[in-house]
Amino acid sequence: MRTTFNTLFRNTLRDVQRTAADYARAQQVTSSGVKLQRPSDSPSDAATALGARAEVRALDRYRTAADSVESRLMVVDTVLSDVIRSITTAQTRAAAGRNTILTQEQREALALEVEGVREAVFTAVTTSYRGMFVFSGSNTTTAPYAKVGAAVSAYQGDATIVSVDVSRTAAVAVTLDAGAMLQGTAPQDVFASLDQLADDIRNGDMAGIDARLGELDDAFNRVTQAQSRVGATLSALPTELERLGQLRRASDTRRAGAEEANLAEAISEMTRAKQAYEAAIAATGTTQRLTLLDYLR
Amino acid sequence: MSLFGMLGTTARALDVQRYGLDVVGNNIANVNTAGYTRRVVDFAAVPPPDRFSAGNGVEVLSLRSQRDRLFDQRLFDESPLAERQAAMVDALGLAEVSLGASGSSLDAALADFFDAFSGHAAAPTETTTREQVLSDAQTLASVFRSLSDRLTESEQAADARVRSDIDRLNGLTSRLAFLNGAIASAPEGEALQLRDEQVAVSVEISGIVGVQVLELADGTFQVATGSGRPLVIGADAYPLEASSTPPTGHASVMAGDVDITAELRTGSLGGLLAVRDQSIPDYRTQLDTMAHDLANAVNALHVSGFDLSGVPGGNFFVPPPSVAGAAASLQIDPALIADPSRIAAAGIASSGDNGMARQLADLRDAPIIGGRTPSAAWTGLVYRVGSDVHQATRELDSRREIVHQVETLRDSVSGVSIDEEAALMMRFQRAYEANARFFTVIDEVLQTLLSLKR
Repeated sequence: MRTTFNTLFRNTLRDVQRTAADYARAQQVTSSGVKLQRPSDSPSDAATALGARAEVRALDRYRTAADSVESRLMVVDTVLSDVIRSITTAQTRAAAGRNTILTQEQREALALEVEGVREAVFTAVTTSYRGMFVFSGSNTTTAPYAKVGAAVSAYQGDATIVSVDVSRTAAVAVTLDAGAMLQGTAPQDVFASLDQLADDIRNGDMAGIDARLGELDDAFNRVTQAQSRVGATLSALPTELERLGQLRRASDTRRAGAEEANLAEAISEMTRAKQAYEAAIAATGTTQRLTLLDYLR
Repeated sequence: MSLFGMLGTTARALDVQRYGLDVVGNNIANVNTAGYTRRVVDFAAVPPPDRFSAGNGVEVLSLRSQRDRLFDQRLFDESPLAERQAAMVDALGLAEVSLGASGSSLDAALADFFDAFSGHAAAPTETTTREQVLSDAQTLASVFRSLSDRLTESEQAADARVRSDIDRLNGLTSRLAFLNGAIASAPEGEALQLRDEQVAVSVEISGIVGVQVLELADGTFQVATGSGRPLVIGADAYPLEASSTPPTGHASVMAGDVDITAELRTGSLGGLLAVRDQSIPDYRTQLDTMAHDLANAVNALHVSGFDLSGVPGGNFFVPPPSVAGAAASLQIDPALIADPSRIAAAGIASSGDNGMARQLADLRDAPIIGGRTPSAAWTGLVYRVGSDVHQATRELDSRREIVHQVETLRDSVSGVSIDEEAALMMRFQRAYEANARFFTVIDEVLQTLLSLKR
């Protein structure tokens, strides 16, 4: 086959352009650290990267939620500890008041301490976190209890618990139903019991004190159970966070595998592409320089 | 033959060798001329007039182009396929760019939108989280609208190129008709340059729109589209027209009164029309489906929730009337923008409940768009566009390689080889020198003859 000047020119030009494009691309991959510049570079890798990126975003959201839940539950846990401590104090004072040899002044002092406990429990359960009352069920804009004169109102929240998703399959309760916790199925709530206990101590009503002690025992158990549930959740959260972290790392590895360049590989590829480009230019220079005219005299 | 006759024969031989050198010079001069075919001169010995003569020397029999019609025909066939892919790669590339970069396009806007509901679920009574939901929802709607606009711009860019290609095609068919007329009326052997241009123009025409080329006995080319619509017959050209067609205003390709848009499958026009009328509208439909289904799914949940005041929620997005145009018109319900407390985050009529916000956040993983999650639907669209560009690019590489091979084969017949021309130059030069020497010898013989008289 005849090989003409134009054939040589077109072949060498095509080779130079192709190797130059390869070199430019290798340079871009190396300098950016990203091998997937456009979806068309590798549609399947682009799809993998997008899927992994979406998964990373979802997992990050759950991790953020889990962090937020953890700090909120720590507040709840602290409040519950305060409530338990207060109820225990009330039980101690009730036991002290169940003594027939106490003077009236001593009874009055104990009664005042019980009333102080009631105030402490009231203050504890009306705690709010970021503007939300955490013991009002889902009625978080309303305090669970309010003062009506010297007395404490009935439970003002609802029985619906607010939960926050910390993964696709797990949700954590972040509010409590103080009505269920401080009264349950009892005929009266802890505040009424404490009010009545103070009166019983003042009056030296041993039967009444016994009845109140029973009510406080029940309340103690309910609050302790609530705290156990919160504690169990709190202790499970680090595990959940760790699991989310592992999933995130796996997704991010998948994304990086699809999107990012292996630098050693990229540099090696760039070196190879550069050599190919230089060889193409050198070949072009050689072939385009030689003609029979150089040898005719 | 007499000595004076020999002088005449030698003078003609010198002229013939000079002509050969002239042809070589012309070939070398046109080594870079597109479409030029190598000229070859044919010599013939002039027979002797009588038995006392060895011959009357040499004469130029013909000057012809080295051409193989098979390769020209292959170029007419292959060019439109390569140009179709080239046009598709360019036009689809614009559509691909319009999707934006991974991590900062619709994927990020979707993630932000659902994240905002998650954040709102964690603090459903907070004003800031409500405003965050609205802000991210507005961004999402804006990204949908922007993507739709950019696809429209890609469509318009393809349409502009369709119109420009039609103009270019009409210029070329007009030129070919002129060349046909000139070739038909040119004396034999004087139309070589016109024939070169005729083939080059025909190849260019076939690159724009796949054509059937028929060479007639008078040397003219009859050119018709692949579906048989005449473009050039003899010295007459039949121009195509771009006619704006509602509702898009895109150009339809008219041959006279007939709309032949659907008939054009190859050439750059075929590629551009395929992208403008099929690929991009498909992408837009997918995007519209995403916007439509997402808006409806969010609305369906939102209307069953309760706002901060315990009032049943309304629509979150302005309900798209249909799939078509849903992305371009996606808007947040104005009532929500005016009063963020209208966001129905609660599943029950309780201000602190977050049941609906959680359900809305969970839409992230719900198969609400044709059985796929929003993220998967977007991934599907990106994959589709990327795959189309990838496929078109690979097909282009393959088609270009075929065209390259055909051009190489054609060059092997028609191309100018500098080495070959250099050899021929030397050959004609030597022949000229020999004939000149012979002329000198005859002159000396004549001098000798004339000196006999002294």
